[in-house]
Amino acid sequence: MKNFKSLQLLDVFKGLFEKADIDYSTMRRILQVKLTMDGRRTSTVMSQNMGKSKSDSNQFLKSLWFYAFIGLTLVPILFFGENYMFQVSLVLGVFMFLIMTTMISDFSSVLLDVRDQTILGTRPITSKTISASKAVHVTIYLFFVTAAIISIPLIIGTIRHGVLFGLLLVFTILLSNLFIVAITAMLYYLILKFFGGERLRDMINYVQIGLSITIVLGYQVVARAFEFVDLEATFTPEWWTLFLPPVWFSAQFAIVLNGEAGIYYYVLTALALLVPILSFVAYMKILPAYEENLVKLMDQTTKVSKRGRFDLFKRIASFVTRSKEEHAFYHFAEKMLKNERELKLKIYPSLGFAMIFPFVFLYNNYTAAGSFEALGSGRSYLSIYAALMMIPGVVIMLQYSSKSKGAWIYHVSPVTDLTNSIKGTLKALIVRLFLPVYIAVSVIYLVIFGVRILPDLLIVLLVTLTYSAICFKIIKGTLPFSEPFESWSQSDGWKTLPFALLIPVFGLIHFGATLIPFGVWIYLAVTLVVTPLIWKYGLKRSPSS
Amino acid sequence: MDKKPDRVLSLKGLTKRYGDKLVLDDIDLDVYEGQIIGYIGPNGAGKSTTVKIMLGLEATYAGEVEIFGENIKQNNVDYKYRIGYVPEMADLYDNLSAREYLSFTGELYGMDAEQAETKARALMGIFDLEEVFDSRISSYSKGMKQKVLLISSLLHDPDLLFLDEPINGLDANSVMIFKEILAKLSEQGKTIFYSSHIMEVVEKISSRILLLNEGKIVADGSFGELRQQNKEGSLEEIFNQLTGFKEYKDLSEEFVQIVQRDKR
Repeated sequence: MKNFKSLQLLDVFKGLFEKADIDYSTMRRILQVKLTMDGRRTSTVMSQNMGKSKSDSNQFLKSLWFYAFIGLTLVPILFFGENYMFQVSLVLGVFMFLIMTTMISDFSSVLLDVRDQTILGTRPITSKTISASKAVHVTIYLFFVTAAIISIPLIIGTIRHGVLFGLLLVFTILLSNLFIVAITAMLYYLILKFFGGERLRDMINYVQIGLSITIVLGYQVVARAFEFVDLEATFTPEWWTLFLPPVWFSAQFAIVLNGEAGIYYYVLTALALLVPILSFVAYMKILPAYEENLVKLMDQTTKVSKRGRFDLFKRIASFVTRSKEEHAFYHFAEKMLKNERELKLKIYPSLGFAMIFPFVFLYNNYTAAGSFEALGSGRSYLSIYAALMMIPGVVIMLQYSSKSKGAWIYHVSPVTDLTNSIKGTLKALIVRLFLPVYIAVSVIYLVIFGVRILPDLLIVLLVTLTYSAICFKIIKGTLPFSEPFESWSQSDGWKTLPFALLIPVFGLIHFGATLIPFGVWIYLAVTLVVTPLIWKYGLKRSPSS
Repeated sequence: MDKKPDRVLSLKGLTKRYGDKLVLDDIDLDVYEGQIIGYIGPNGAGKSTTVKIMLGLEATYAGEVEIFGENIKQNNVDYKYRIGYVPEMADLYDNLSAREYLSFTGELYGMDAEQAETKARALMGIFDLEEVFDSRISSYSKGMKQKVLLISSLLHDPDLLFLDEPINGLDANSVMIFKEILAKLSEQGKTIFYSSHIMEVVEKISSRILLLNEGKIVADGSFGELRQQNKEGSLEEIFNQLTGFKEYKDLSEEFVQIVQRDKR
C-alpha cells in the first residue's frame, strides 16, 4: 500500500488530533486503506470514459484536470469590471454547484459506507476516531477539488484585484465548503430519516446523472459564453437574492472592496458568516443520530405505488411483443433499465444528450438562417437525426450489468431462441427510453416547423428502428446484461464510431428524398416495408450462442 | 481444570426496542470461559441484535452488558481487543487484496503490520489460499471470502469469538478443519458464541445451547439436557417444538399444490 502524500502532510497536524483524543496512527491507517480503495474506483466525472484500469493510478487525481479546466473558464468573469457582487456571485455559484454535486456523486460512498459499521465498529477503535477519519477523508478530497477549481481564478484574481481580494476569496471559499459539507450531510440525514436508504441511493444516482449531463453541456455553454462577454454586468439588490448562498458570500467583497454600505449588505454578510457556522454546529449535534440512521441504508425496502401508470406500460408491452419469451425479456429489460443504478448512470446522460443535441444543431442553423421564419420554412428539421447519436452508445451498454453474474438464468432456462431476448430488450429500450425523448423533441419541432414535417418525423422514427437493429450488431453474440462493467474497454467506444457515421448517411438520404417531388412519401413507404424485414431477418441469433 | 472457570460475559435485564417493537425482552445470561454457545432461534428472534449490542454496534438498550467483567457502556473500546467477530454478511473491503485487508484489520487490534502479515499468510496457506494472497477479495468465491473473514477474526488470538453463520459457503473439508479449530480453542479456555441455522452443526459442536424466541431465552442447556426435557430426537425437532412451529406439513403440501396448479 502506498504512503500517500496527503497523509504525510496530515502528519504535521498529528499533535492536534492527539489533543482531541483521537488515535492518530489508527486513523492514519484507516485513511490509507480508504485512499487505496478510492484509487481503485472511478469518479463520476471520469465515468464517461472509464476503462480497464488495473493499476492503482488514482482516477480521482485525473479527474482533477477537469476541475482545473472549469476553474480556467471562470477567469474571464474576473475581468467583467469592478462590480464584485456580480463577479463573485457568479464564480461562487459555479464553484458551489460543482462542489455540491461532486460531494453527492463521489463522496457519498465515503459518508454512506455501511461496511464501516461491521468492519470498523466491531474493532477496538473509538467512535471518535472513526468519525474523525471520515471527516478527514472527505476533507482531503474537498481540498483537492477546491484547489483544482479555484487555484487559477485565485491567482489571476489576486493579480487583477489585489491581495485583499485574494484573502477574502480564500476565506469565503472556506466558509462555503463548510456550508456545503454540513448541508449535504443534513440532507442525507433528513432523507434517511423520512424515506430510507433506497430513496437516498436513487437521489444520489440522479445527481450523478445530472452531473454527467452538466459536464458535457458545460463545454457547449462555455464555448458559447464567450460571445456574451461584453454583456452589461450590473447587480441590483432584490429581496429574493437573500436566498442565494453565493450572493451572501459576495457581499463582503462589495463592502470591503466596493465600499458599499447599507442594511442589505450587512444582512448578507451576517448570513454568510452565521449560516455556515450554525449549520456546522447543527451537523455536529445530529452526527450521532446520523450514524444510527445509516443502518437504514442496509434495508432495501421501498414502498411501491403508482399502479395506474404501470398498466399503460403493460398494455404497450403486450402490444409491441410477439411471443411469451419476447414479452418476458421486454419486461426484464424494462426493469433493468429502470432499476439498475450503474446502468442508468451510463445510459441516462446519453438520453439527455439525445434531447439536447438536435437543438444545438438547430441553433447553429438558426444563426446561419438569420431569422426564425427562414429557419421554420427550411429543412433544418433534419437536425433531429442528432437524437439518434445516443443509440450506438446505449446499445453497447445493454450487454453490461453490475449484477452480470445473474446471467446464468439465460443458460439454465429452456429458452430456445435468443432472438427473442434481443428483440425484447431492444423494444424495451426504444419504447421506454428513446420514444419519450423523441416525442418530446418532435413536439417542439412540430411547433417550429409546422405539421408539414409529420411524415418526415415518422420516417425518422422508422429509420431509428432499423438503425437500432443494425447497431445491435456491435455487441455480436453477447447476451443482454451479461457482462460486468469492468470488462468495458476503450475499444468498445471506438466500435460505435462506424455506426455513428451511419447517422449522417441516413440524414443525407432523407435530404435527397425531400428534393424530389413526393420523395418523402415514397421514402416513407420504403421504410415502412424495409423496417419490419430488418427486424425479422436482421436480428436472427442462433440458439447456441 | 482446578479453578472455577471465569465468567466472560454477563447480560442483566437486557431489553431492546425498535420503535414499538420489543426485540429483546429482559434477557439474563452468564457465559463462562471455554463454553461454546450454540445461539439459535427463528429469523427475527433477536439473535443478531444481541450480538450487535455486545459488539457495541447498538448503543441504545436497557439493562447491563458486562464483558470480561466490565460494563461495556463505561469502557467501550478496550474489551474489543479480546474479541473476534465473523459477520453474517460477507462485509469486507473487497477492493483490497487479502494481504492488505488482513494486515489492516490486524493492525486495528494493535498488532505489528509485519507480524500480522506473516501470520495471515501462514493462515491463508492452511486454507490453501496462499496463491491468491495478493488478489483482490472481490475476485474470490463465497467460500474463499468466508475463509478471509475467519482468519481476520482469529488473527489477533481473541478470547471471545462471535461467529454468525461462520461456515457459510465452506466446503466439507474446510468445515472439518474449522470445527476442530473451535474445539481446540475452547479447550484452551476461549469462549465462542456461535449463531447458525444449521442445527446439525450446532448440535455437534456446542457445549451449551441457547434458544431465543420472540426476544426471550426459551431453552438453555447442553444438547443432552434439552433432549431430556423435551423428549425429542434432534435439535431440529426441539427447535420446532419450542418455537411452536407445527404446521410445516400443511405448508409444504400447500406449496407443492400451488407449484402444480396450472399443469395439465
